[in-house]
Amino acid sequence: MTRALRILASNPLSLIGLILVSGIVLAALLAPWIAPFPTHNSAVIDFAHANQAPTARNWMGTDLVGRDIFSRILYAYRISLGLGIVVLVIATPIGTVVGLLAGYLGGWTESVLMRLVDVFLSIPPLVLAIAVLGVLEPTLTNAMIAVTVMWWPWYARLVYSIARSEREEGYVLAAEVIGAPTPHIVFREILPNCLPAIITKMTLDMGFVIIIASSLSFLGLGVQPPTPDLGSMVAEGARYLPDSLWMTVFPGLAILLAVFGFNLLGDGLREVLGVDE
Amino acid sequence: MSSVFRILLRRLGISVIVLIGVSMLIFAIARVIPGDPARIALGPNATAEQVAAIRTEMHLDEPIVAQYGHFVTDVLRGDLGTSLYTNRPVTQDIVEFLPATLELVIFAGLLMVALGLPLGILAARHRARWPDHVVRVLTLLTVSAPSFVWAVILMLVFAFYLPLFPVAGRIDDSYEIARVTGFLTVDTLIAGRFDAFLDVLHHLVLPAVALALSGIGQAARLTRANMVETYDKPYIEMAQAYGFAPGRIARRYAFKPSLIPSLTIIGLDFAAMLGNAFLVEAVFAWPGLSRYGVAVILRKDLNAIMGTVLVIALTFLIINIIVDLLIAFLNPRIRHSTRAAT
Amino acid sequence: MTRTTLLAATLTAATALTPVFAQSVLRLDEVAVGELDPAKASDYADSILMFNVYDTLVLPKQGEPGHEGHLAESWEVDGATYTFTLRDGIAFQSGNPLTAQDVVYSLERMQAVGQGLSHLFGGVAAEAVDEKTVRFTLEEPYAPFVASLVRLPIVDKALVEQNATEQDPWGEAFLSGNAAGTGAYRVTAHNPQAETRMARNEDYFGEIKDAAPDEAVLRYSLEAATVRTLLAQGEHDISSQWLPPEVMRALANDGAQLFTESGTGAFYIKLNTAKPPLDHVNCRQALAHAFDYGTALQMVAITEDVSSGSAPTGAIPVGMFGANPAEEALARDMDKAREYLADCPTPPEDWDLEISWIAEVPLEERFALLMQANFAELGISSKIETLPWALFTERVASPENTPHISQIFVNAVTGDPDTLLYGMYHSSTPGTWQSPEYLDDAEVDAALEAGRRGPGEQEREEAYSALNDRLMELAPTIYGYDRQSVFAASDRVSAPALSDPSQAFGVDGMGFSFRLMEMTD
Repeated sequence: MTRALRILASNPLSLIGLILVSGIVLAALLAPWIAPFPTHNSAVIDFAHANQAPTARNWMGTDLVGRDIFSRILYAYRISLGLGIVVLVIATPIGTVVGLLAGYLGGWTESVLMRLVDVFLSIPPLVLAIAVLGVLEPTLTNAMIAVTVMWWPWYARLVYSIARSEREEGYVLAAEVIGAPTPHIVFREILPNCLPAIITKMTLDMGFVIIIASSLSFLGLGVQPPTPDLGSMVAEGARYLPDSLWMTVFPGLAILLAVFGFNLLGDGLREVLGVDE
Repeated sequence: MSSVFRILLRRLGISVIVLIGVSMLIFAIARVIPGDPARIALGPNATAEQVAAIRTEMHLDEPIVAQYGHFVTDVLRGDLGTSLYTNRPVTQDIVEFLPATLELVIFAGLLMVALGLPLGILAARHRARWPDHVVRVLTLLTVSAPSFVWAVILMLVFAFYLPLFPVAGRIDDSYEIARVTGFLTVDTLIAGRFDAFLDVLHHLVLPAVALALSGIGQAARLTRANMVETYDKPYIEMAQAYGFAPGRIARRYAFKPSLIPSLTIIGLDFAAMLGNAFLVEAVFAWPGLSRYGVAVILRKDLNAIMGTVLVIALTFLIINIIVDLLIAFLNPRIRHSTRAAT
Repeated sequence: MTRTTLLAATLTAATALTPVFAQSVLRLDEVAVGELDPAKASDYADSILMFNVYDTLVLPKQGEPGHEGHLAESWEVDGATYTFTLRDGIAFQSGNPLTAQDVVYSLERMQAVGQGLSHLFGGVAAEAVDEKTVRFTLEEPYAPFVASLVRLPIVDKALVEQNATEQDPWGEAFLSGNAAGTGAYRVTAHNPQAETRMARNEDYFGEIKDAAPDEAVLRYSLEAATVRTLLAQGEHDISSQWLPPEVMRALANDGAQLFTESGTGAFYIKLNTAKPPLDHVNCRQALAHAFDYGTALQMVAITEDVSSGSAPTGAIPVGMFGANPAEEALARDMDKAREYLADCPTPPEDWDLEISWIAEVPLEERFALLMQANFAELGISSKIETLPWALFTERVASPENTPHISQIFVNAVTGDPDTLLYGMYHSSTPGTWQSPEYLDDAEVDAALEAGRRGPGEQEREEAYSALNDRLMELAPTIYGYDRQSVFAASDRVSAPALSDPSQAFGVDGMGFSFRLMEMTD
């Protein structure tokens, strides 16, 4: 662990990523205490300060009803990160189990499971989520469901390809020879060898989940107002371009920073854990 | 040649299975929709008799397996039902809007290859020196924002502050071009209007760049990674020892083997742009299938949603097949092998 | 490298290339869907199409009350019988001559299709007396009948029947994609969610200004930022009225003109009276008193001189029959709101109000937030819901699916208060986009019926006055503000009907008769 941290720290880009990610996670956790206007995460209106460019009072300006954009971005991070964590916590185990079973067992299980994965992967990811949200009501929970539905197949495929190659490795064959039960081989022998790739992918994916979730809310299919969300803030602000550009630019930058942070960190982890691209 | 043909056959076979799965998936999504599909399909002004009639017509009173059977036969006949939103057959809507989206995606795909590969090669040739670092940061940045953020930024900078490009649409209103293929780049040339053709390209630039940016980043990263790996191969080191010019090594020996793994991912990214087109079309008022898709989804227009998703999935599969075939052609091991690759 | 240079060169060439206008093109935008079938026309986009592609028997006089002949040369009224004589020598765009049969067919088609504003023509029968004479007979007296004829576009019977089928006897499929009118503009291309292109009809029987646009392009559902940019760059001519006030203001500061179409309507915040807790009048009154009318007016001001709203005084906009005087402006009263709330059977924390806003009208999102904050002061919980227009019109078809609160701009489609109020409040017309209140009140019905019966102005004034009082008591609606439509326009276009009150029609959308506009390029 300390070695990993040292390697991470020796790579300036990964270090930046680590700092960005920790900063954003902290900001999101502490939002109620550090946001200058902690009530602005809901339907507060303050027309006296509406539509104002950045000032000392409102560092990133205000929106059309006078809410502080900086405070709203802090709260929006809570939503984005929370959604990312929930999606990955659900999608990763599902995908991993499917991938492990298909990769190790082979035969019919492999064909059926992997064709199923192919089906899900044959619809562009965003389109699948949009279609699922199209029939459900647009809420945060449904957005999580939609993103999870499109996410697990990618883990299945990743773990499958590793498991398939590990199947022929000496240690697996040895375990088979001594008659170890299948669950033991799959979860105790093969799974640990998939973990570095899974962890790297999860870090990188936090960024991508944030992108997908903000894309959904940009289209009006995600979190509903007045809950702050980075995607819907960009969509809302984009109507007032080029005049009130702080309403669009800051939430846009907020997405960029968060995803950039996770990408840098994921890149660093990849090197630390020795995972191929 | 015959093995390429066999790959094509095998690929088509898998695609058919996948397509059947996709149709089931879409059918399932459409049936979990809350509410009565017959009522939804007819809209608010329908009478109870009309609803009853359409229930029979839509086979809603039959078992679910039979319903799926009817769905498939209808789709195979090209009948996707009527859109509530436009009051026209969904097939007609798709024929109208799909070319605009494909044109945008293809143009963005070309940009992705034309800019992503050279950037990757540049980074690989100057590994661990400043061009490599610059390319790395740039590519990480481009994949770090959703395409709608890039679209908004590009529009702000290059359409408003520096009015170099048009802000919306596919072609200036003053041109009247007869529709032949629906691809305006093609139709303008068929009409012999080179000025209109340039205008179409002019309109394509910003949306295509916004759509391609993250793909450019991905392509560059992959190309770099694969080339770096190839550079470590003994035959390259040998070529270097023989004193071949670095440019020649890069082009002849390092690039081509690296291209193959990159192409697979580029193909996937290219197809994924069909999804991101939803975002870019919304910003640039691009009259394509994705914009139609968003409109019908917000409208809960079931027939149109199913039709749109089905067509996008089909396009996605076709693009992937084309990419696989390209790879087969490029890869000498597959091209010259006598047995079917697995 | 050469590829990039080539690309750059192509782009430079394209940038330098400015399209040559052989013809003058007017470009404007509205919210999708553009419904081309005149029997289904109801909202603003549909009206723009209808008034340009089709003609009506009469037109409102410009700048004054009353009507004058258009397709009709003259008419006579005898009790509930109206006899119109058609002008000679009018032909449809197809070349078919206009006859009394076409008028009869248009009315019957409108009634049979039963959508759009067909409710204006219930109980009306028409017969062709001869080629040029048509007689309407009303079952019941209807004082504003002549006014309502501005919503009876005349279609080309022969052409529609040619394109009708057994399943589609009224040619709905044909007319949703094609024009069959006499109008000053022909439809050259129509895509209901992207754009409609129209070209000047050189054979038009009436007046077309010399400098009227040769072509008009009505685009649907452009983003506000797009319209803002296109207008600033001279690539768009008239914005929709749905641009947020900030954007209008920015455009005006950049030198855009502001067109207005005068107030025969208002911004109504409609409460679903069929859904608890709003089925109880005290609960509704609590909301009506908690709404911050003053802030609402601040929100819709555009420049110091132009605003899209003025202070509301009741259910009927100032200037119409039965309206309260302008001094009696409604104002927020939290004490009263609390009193009413105390008498509302549902405790505020259990309300869970759905406040909807129309996705195409960003301004409404702010009203949603304003209401959410206003009502939260009473302890009322609520959630905000975004509905695209098309979905909204579908949801209101049943009271259960209709949100508690809908925000709607309603105008008197014929300029007469009957067409503003009857469709909203009469118990026989629930569940349209105008009537998500689902109001069912005998007194309201009686007043509405008396208002349309007339026959004189005196009786009508009394009836609408009583109606206004009753509607204040029942509070089915929060009367947000009296409204006028504002449009931002480039200086390429002049439209007296939208800028000079003495040329205004007083009917929603008719100011967009392209034939009366002039392109100054």
